[in-house]
Amino acid sequence: MANTLDQLVEQVRENRIWRSIFRSGTGASNLHRALFVQQNVFLHLFSVKARKRTVGFSATWYLGALTFGTFLILVITGILLMLYYHPSVPQAYADMKDLQFVVSSGVFLRNLHRWSAHAMVFLVFAHMFKVFYRGAYRPPREFNWVIGVVLLLVTLLLSYTGYLLPWDQLAYWAVTVGSNIASAVPVMGSKIRFLMLGGTAVNANALLRFYVLHCVILPFTATLLVAIHFWRIRKDGGIYAGEPATKGKSE
Amino acid sequence: MKNQLKAVWQFFFGDSARAFGSVSLILLVLLAISPAKNHFSQWRHYQKQYLHLIRGRADAVTLERHFQGGIQQIWIPEQQVTDRCTTCHLGLKEASLADVSAVAFRKHPVVPHSLTEFGCTTCHRGQGAATTVEEAHNSTEQWEQPLLPAKYIEAGCGQCHLEKPTATPFLNQGRDLISSNGCTHCHTIKRGDGTYILPDDDPPSLKHIADKTTREWIYAWIKDPQAYAGTATMPNYHLRDDDARDISAFVISQSTALQPPIQPGQTDTKPAEDPAAGTSLYGQSFCASCHAMQNAAGILVGGNVGPELTGIGTKAKPEWLQDWVANPNHYDPGTMMPHYRFDATQVATLAGFLESKTEPDLVANVHLDPATSPQIEHGKKLVVENGCASCHEINGIKKPENFAPELSRIGSKPLSQLLFVEGVEHTLPGYVAAKVRSPRAFGPSLKMPQFNLTPLQIDAITTALLAQTDRSQTQPPAMRIASVQQTKYEPAGHAGQLMGDLRCLTCHVINGHGGDMAPDLTWEGTAVQREWLTQFLKNPETLRPALIRRMPKFNLTDAEITTLADYMMTVYQTPQFDRDSLPVSEFSPAVVEQGRQLFYSKFACQSCHIADYAKDKGYIGPALAGTGKRFYAAWIYHWLQDPQSLRPGTIEPNQHMTDDEARSLTAFLMSLNATGSKEATKK
Repeated sequence: MANTLDQLVEQVRENRIWRSIFRSGTGASNLHRALFVQQNVFLHLFSVKARKRTVGFSATWYLGALTFGTFLILVITGILLMLYYHPSVPQAYADMKDLQFVVSSGVFLRNLHRWSAHAMVFLVFAHMFKVFYRGAYRPPREFNWVIGVVLLLVTLLLSYTGYLLPWDQLAYWAVTVGSNIASAVPVMGSKIRFLMLGGTAVNANALLRFYVLHCVILPFTATLLVAIHFWRIRKDGGIYAGEPATKGKSE
Repeated sequence: MKNQLKAVWQFFFGDSARAFGSVSLILLVLLAISPAKNHFSQWRHYQKQYLHLIRGRADAVTLERHFQGGIQQIWIPEQQVTDRCTTCHLGLKEASLADVSAVAFRKHPVVPHSLTEFGCTTCHRGQGAATTVEEAHNSTEQWEQPLLPAKYIEAGCGQCHLEKPTATPFLNQGRDLISSNGCTHCHTIKRGDGTYILPDDDPPSLKHIADKTTREWIYAWIKDPQAYAGTATMPNYHLRDDDARDISAFVISQSTALQPPIQPGQTDTKPAEDPAAGTSLYGQSFCASCHAMQNAAGILVGGNVGPELTGIGTKAKPEWLQDWVANPNHYDPGTMMPHYRFDATQVATLAGFLESKTEPDLVANVHLDPATSPQIEHGKKLVVENGCASCHEINGIKKPENFAPELSRIGSKPLSQLLFVEGVEHTLPGYVAAKVRSPRAFGPSLKMPQFNLTPLQIDAITTALLAQTDRSQTQPPAMRIASVQQTKYEPAGHAGQLMGDLRCLTCHVINGHGGDMAPDLTWEGTAVQREWLTQFLKNPETLRPALIRRMPKFNLTDAEITTLADYMMTVYQTPQFDRDSLPVSEFSPAVVEQGRQLFYSKFACQSCHIADYAKDKGYIGPALAGTGKRFYAAWIYHWLQDPQSLRPGTIEPNQHMTDDEARSLTAFLMSLNATGSKEATKK
């Protein structure tokens, strides 16, 4: 049974169409494996080789990967939600209600998006603590730490901009308070607030700005930075799994 | 046990492939919950129930053809209506489902509006977009506007209908009560068309109050207005004794003497000797048309236009009463009371009669020491705090602006902005009703006083207030039925002054202005003959035997009568036809006889009217026995053909007579020449 299944997989992977997509083909040699990673646009960001203990659970608790996973869920549910949502004052809240009452699995979509967002913020923090306490921010990884900090900010901004979009009282006042905090910046405070809201009050312009930030600018920034983040892991010597055994006692 | 658990764990998560498989399976199950919830949604359940219901009925085929599954909605973007109520309420338009016991599927009662043009939430409120019972009907955190309770449903109508539709008596009553209780002296209530609900309770000015009454009476009155007169409009402020003492001191201290001053009691004129003279003058002058008074049995008899007079002798000073009866304009130029032309004896008789109507108990225990200046100062503070000047003119106190919260949008006020107390239902109608019922229950320091309202009146006022919604203020003007605005109408010239002095418009309507107690006089000049009018003004006999109210005798001089008659005959003419266009001489006896037949048989006019005092008993309409001396034939002729066009709102039915019938009836009616009233004929 297991053999026939393996044979079937083998057949598929030797198939011409499959080969045209994944050129590396089958084979258990290191070259094949390296090619498989290196020739895939997504995977080539990672190293072709990793130490076994770096891929175990204890090394990272998978916090970075889980963060990326929630980000993917957010992108997918976010795109689906965009299909039902108009960033306009008369429509925004009504669209929320439509999602709640008439869109198939609309409530599920919104809840998934919302809880994933919460989870992502939590995981980002957890990831950073882990990195910090393991000392993984130290050279040569210091630049990747900086990118990580920027990604933290992007994550928080994504959460904040998404908060306004339901256009309910909670959203309205959260953004009113938030933009007032921004206006407390010395000298240019009111300018920043004006830039944020596209006016002097939370209204149609603010909604549109937050929508564009939430759905275009910030996700693209995040995607770009995540790519660099992953790429730098490889360039900085792979996933950090503690000091080399020669220095420590336990390993 | 432990081993068993371990074995299970091994089976599902023993190695990475099993763990991956198990986790995937769990995820799949979790993902399936969402479509399952969709499938077992509440509205589908209701649609199944509905199908089950109609299948058992005789007209199942028709009903099933009308049925459409899935989510239904009424969408009217310009009114922000997205109502999915019809997803579950499937039988709203099915005439045959009027008897269904399940409310959800019953036919909607007949209303003049199409459901698809107006939607549901426009009138009923609730959350139209929702598709669950709880969310659609009740207030939730995300939607504070629940379904309007059935007893306040007319509030829905009041959002657009600013006039007084006959179908909404409750709403109309509420609006009238808001005006007649003077709510809007303190609260501003703006209607959707930009007009305001204005008070019409006419609170008296207190500028010269010391001329009218005593400090003791004021003290007793402000302590409890209803103790003096059950019908009093003034609400109860629940004042403490000291506060009532100080307010009365302040009000009296601010009062100035009337200019020219009221003459002290005239000693040279004695009231009539006959002890019953006062009663009969009160009756003859038809004071009771406007004023109520308790009779010997304690039953209130009379109208509600003027104040109740049961205890007037305790309230008013004798010399003030005399002055008032002689000419009310002297004390209050804005009063609705006409200026009767009483002679000195009549004034003394009537004033004496009124003086005898006392309620001594009211002030028996009131003993006030002369006011000190700290008391007066404190009284002033209280008068300002309680907003007395919102209603009453008081020397030295300005009418406060926006003394109480504006109520223009009270019907849409979010619950989160309301402060509830124990025992008040946690809904907007519950709050408004409780506030109207007993305002001080919300805190003893609140200013709003206790009004004297029955439970039904409270509900009516609540209905009118709930109609003041955001929608009522913001909807497109085309949706609105405008309110009837009272503008000032004052007849011109000498006659106009005279009519003002006699306050004709307190009872009569002219050009759409005035009271509703007496007939419309707008086209009176076209209708009646001058000789009749003159005679009537000199001595008004009753035209409607069934009515207790009737036109009082004002004791007009001949010159005044001439002025009035000239003015009315000249000015109050309809442009529709000429009053002389149908000379009486044209009617032959045969035509008259034909008219008589029509009167008594075809149209059976005698069921409401009297053509012959000896025979007929119609008491609904005016007696017609003297018509020939009263009306112009042209008026009768046109009146018979279309009464409503000459006097909108008259109850005289339009019989759609032919031209000949109208002519014959006119001929008959013009032949009726009896003089005087029924009583006179009997004698």
